[in-house]
Amino acid sequence: MNVLTKFSLYVQGRFGRHRLRRFLLGSIPFVFLLTLWQMNTTFEWLAPVFIPSIGGVIDAIFVLQSDCSGLVGVLSLDNSCLMTTHILSSIGRVLLAAIIGIPLGIIFGILAGMNRLVSSVLEPVGIFANSISGIAWVPLAIVWFGVGSLTTLFIMLNTVFWLMFFNAMLGTRGIAKVYEQSVLTMGGNRWNIVIQVYLPGAMPSIITGMRMSLGFGWRALIAAEMIGGDSGLGFMIFTAAEEFNVEQVFLGVIVISIIYLVTDHYLLGPLEKWTTHRWGLTWKPT
Amino acid sequence: MSDSLNRFLAFWRHFSGAKVINLALIIAGLLGAWALISGSIDNPGRYLPSPLAVAASSVDMLYKGLLPSYFGDTISRLVIGSLIGLGLGIPFGLLLGLNRTVSDIFFPIMNFFQSVSGIAIFPIVVIWWGNSDKTVLAVILYTCFFPVAFNVLSGVREVPLRYIHSAYTLGASKFQVIRDVLAPGALPHIATGSRLGIGFASRAVIADEMLAGREGLGWMIFTGQDADMTSQVILGMLMIGLTWIVLDHYLLRPLEADTIERWGLVHR
Repeated sequence: MNVLTKFSLYVQGRFGRHRLRRFLLGSIPFVFLLTLWQMNTTFEWLAPVFIPSIGGVIDAIFVLQSDCSGLVGVLSLDNSCLMTTHILSSIGRVLLAAIIGIPLGIIFGILAGMNRLVSSVLEPVGIFANSISGIAWVPLAIVWFGVGSLTTLFIMLNTVFWLMFFNAMLGTRGIAKVYEQSVLTMGGNRWNIVIQVYLPGAMPSIITGMRMSLGFGWRALIAAEMIGGDSGLGFMIFTAAEEFNVEQVFLGVIVISIIYLVTDHYLLGPLEKWTTHRWGLTWKPT
Repeated sequence: MSDSLNRFLAFWRHFSGAKVINLALIIAGLLGAWALISGSIDNPGRYLPSPLAVAASSVDMLYKGLLPSYFGDTISRLVIGSLIGLGLGIPFGLLLGLNRTVSDIFFPIMNFFQSVSGIAIFPIVVIWWGNSDKTVLAVILYTCFFPVAFNVLSGVREVPLRYIHSAYTLGASKFQVIRDVLAPGALPHIATGSRLGIGFASRAVIADEMLAGREGLGWMIFTGQDADMTSQVILGMLMIGLTWIVLDHYLLRPLEADTIERWGLVHR
């Protein structure tokens, strides 16, 4: 057995044949596109003003990060480390909106799921607020908060809160009355029901809502940063486009999609699956 | 005829009675709260115009014929963009779903492009084609295409193999399997994907009009903010919200529910 066969057997054993095959097949279009992109640069089919070279896109990272003073500069969101500053300020806004918006949405959602009066007031407002897409709030937010991070935070919060609200409400409503009544029969009070029945019962729906709201919120955030922001990835690609700096635009778009892909597929997706598995009230035939 | 009559009666029953009074009370309460807030702040014309001011601006814009024209622009963009997106996305998804290997090849790259939100593609397209209708349409098409194709693909793949095998066993040709098994089996997913795609497209239209400066509802609220006419901004937002409610609750959702009810593969 030569080395190559050994290596191939080792890789197959380590990752699994089917996963390996899927991975290899899936990488074909990426390789093809990258080759096409490189060929475009070499043979100059389309001018570099429209499609930059791959090297140029990678260089753009160093241009943006030039004279960055190490980790301190990165963390203090220094203007000389533009790339990381934009990335971190976008992610920071997402985190801030998630920390404020998700608990608020869950609280109001469970309240609305418990109480008909609350839901009859909040539901029409929510339906309306949800159907005005996040981006349509930008002009009004600019009037209220001015161009800047408050506006983008508001857009993000608005998207996150209402989606969480609806998911928590529908999740709470979907819980069978039996569970609630059995807690009451065993002498529990209203608080016990909230903690022991509503919260875990609505958990799969809440996590789905989290995934959805962060996905929608991320899109809304990018758009909001383009129109009414002063930092962040959306701002970066929009200003780069205005200066016809295609390399930075391509870089920004790729970074945006990679951040979304990684959080969605490696963080929120598995979390959702795990919660549904752990708390999901799905009836499994035995 | 009697069918449509029945539908109308059901519609009427749904909205008459206690519910409609409830809803009217809530809307009246919200309008009252809005009027109170706008009455109690400084400079309401800039920060939060009263409902009356918004109504006045709507009358003004209707009189000038601007509102219908903006509305028509936005709707026609949405319809054209999402029709092309659906027309391309559905066959593409079906084609990819036919073969396991082909779908394995294209799944990851579609996943990648789907996560580039349509609006992030805007700066690239604007460099290619400038602030034109072509740019707006391209971005709408892009936003609509990927969710549709993705959903159709997963729909085709979720058709149970035994249906396909049983059709083959009964002597069906490849084409018959596609027409009679895979396409109807994927219909619920096609409906879901279309709703999602049109939803994304409707958001993209507004953002595009703001960014590209093409006339429409998005442009109306954006210039309203620039010109310090907040009542126009709020009017535009109300129009956008109402349009989507009508589109989603009375067209797309019933369509999806009907499709799932008729063709949904419920295992019993």
